[in-house]
Amino acid sequence: MDPVLVIQSLISGVMMGMVYALLGVGFSLTWGVMHVIHISHAVFGLLGAYFAYTLLTLYGVDPVVSAMVSTPLLFIVACAVYQVLIRPLTKAREMVVASMILTFGLAIILENLLVLVWKADPRLLTPSYASESWIIGPFYLQYPHLIGFALSLVGISSLYVFLKKTTTGMAVRAAWQNQEAARLYGVNLFRISMITFALAVSTAGAGGISLALLYSFEPHSHNLWLIYLFLVVIVGGVGNVIGTALAGLIIGVITGLSMAFLPYQWVNLITFGLLMVFLIFRPHGLFGEVG
Amino acid sequence: MKKVPLIMAVLTVAVLALFPLLRPEVYYLSFLFTLFMYVVLSSSWNVIGGYAGYLSFGHAAFFGIGAFATAKMATAFSLSPLLTILSSIPAGLLAALVALIVGYPCLRIRGPYFSVVTICFAFVVDLAVKNIEELGGAEGLWMTFMDLPEETSRAIMYEVMLLLMVVTLATVYLLGRSRFGRGLTAVRTDEEVAETMAIPTAKLKIQAFVVSAFFPGVAGGLFAYYLSYIHPDAVFSINISILIVLMAMFGGGGTWLGPIVGAVILTVVNEGLSTFAQAEIARIIYGALFIIVTIFMPDGIIAYFRRWATAQRKA
Repeated sequence: MDPVLVIQSLISGVMMGMVYALLGVGFSLTWGVMHVIHISHAVFGLLGAYFAYTLLTLYGVDPVVSAMVSTPLLFIVACAVYQVLIRPLTKAREMVVASMILTFGLAIILENLLVLVWKADPRLLTPSYASESWIIGPFYLQYPHLIGFALSLVGISSLYVFLKKTTTGMAVRAAWQNQEAARLYGVNLFRISMITFALAVSTAGAGGISLALLYSFEPHSHNLWLIYLFLVVIVGGVGNVIGTALAGLIIGVITGLSMAFLPYQWVNLITFGLLMVFLIFRPHGLFGEVG
Repeated sequence: MKKVPLIMAVLTVAVLALFPLLRPEVYYLSFLFTLFMYVVLSSSWNVIGGYAGYLSFGHAAFFGIGAFATAKMATAFSLSPLLTILSSIPAGLLAALVALIVGYPCLRIRGPYFSVVTICFAFVVDLAVKNIEELGGAEGLWMTFMDLPEETSRAIMYEVMLLLMVVTLATVYLLGRSRFGRGLTAVRTDEEVAETMAIPTAKLKIQAFVVSAFFPGVAGGLFAYYLSYIHPDAVFSINISILIVLMAMFGGGGTWLGPIVGAVILTVVNEGLSTFAQAEIARIIYGALFIIVTIFMPDGIIAYFRRWATAQRKA
């Protein structure tokens, strides 16, 4: 084994993993706090990616700026989606199932709107620095990858600080731990759910932009993204922010390494096989549901 | 079954069985073949997903295993048409056997975690089949279809699928009303309490999983022969798994009628939309349907109409 290749694939694995973590953390929160499995989560990531793509090709806006603009925009959109679509589901006997069916429908709608507007061709975010790299000795760190990584790191850290330090964030965590008790202590569950959902969707947008800096994307990409979301969230423990971040890194490194040393068609087989074994033996994640 | 519904069911089956005698266009036979197939898939899914409340999102795997088993048997032994059709039964048994092996560890996990592990299972089977050269690898397998005029051959396959549907629905109906079915309902309602009441939950779940895998395996075998060409993407797609779940839940999981209603409505709507609208628009309307139904009938169509009927009676 060539040590340079090993370290290079470790580096790209870590970057990829961080981005999946940002994309996954919101998915994990909606699942843990609201008991909503948000199938269209990754489509909102794509929405962010297309938003950045359009601003970049038409006006030359940097993806980082687009991420800052898209976050509050998606926050507002998500509040509306929550009020109109998700909130009525609280009446359902089986909230998880109902939410999956509903958001599956939403995913189909958004995916096909994306096809109508942007066509089904694969797109690539190519800012001016797209082909430049930071070279340290024998290693290459491509600038877009670095930016995507940094964006994800900032995104996750700010979400973590929000949950730990602000009153609203604490209410979100309280609702995650025990809805009934949280309600007894005067937490407005509908408001908290709306905020959780909106935060999740806006981080998904930023995650989508970060991911678009690493890989090309098309309207159907969200299906594969969603599978990685499930992976990251399960390994990290549902609702656990730090767990999700670590799980992202672990899965990124595993995929990075197996991509370097295995024939391509075996990579996914190993990833999913591992996840299956993992689920059977540690269904509540590496780090448990508290953290 | 009470007398009137039983007569209605027998009449429906009789009408459907006699339908090919009218010499309809092959299109209608094909369409109904697909419809029956989805009824089989979602109704047998209902045994584990609806009755027991274990939402398997990997049922396409059993469908695909059946399809590939039949295709492999037919090509390897160059079976006659009749034997090929019959070979879908051992194919179904293979699917059931896989369910037995996989179900043992997987059914210990509950809730959404079980769903995710079944998604992974379907992916692993899909990728494994693509990597096995003997199963055609990524190219798929070709089979020779029966050497008969198209109308006759399609009519034969139509009748076979109809028979499978009747057998599946009868089995699921009887299971639902048996001690076994009540045990599964107990598992869904509260597994811990069921265990304390000495209901052998682990055994019941495995049995339900095996039954719910057998019929899709047989259906997969018939489907493979019907297409006479089988590719991993055509049978293992996650979309098929999701569609099976949606059909059952859409109609109403845990009821006998629910998956039938769901499969019929969604197949008809899908077919209608793809005939009359641009592909993307059709998909958007299809997606909107899921949203509207979940908001207004969050527990499925059947539950909604039952509640509506009770309200009428009281008024």
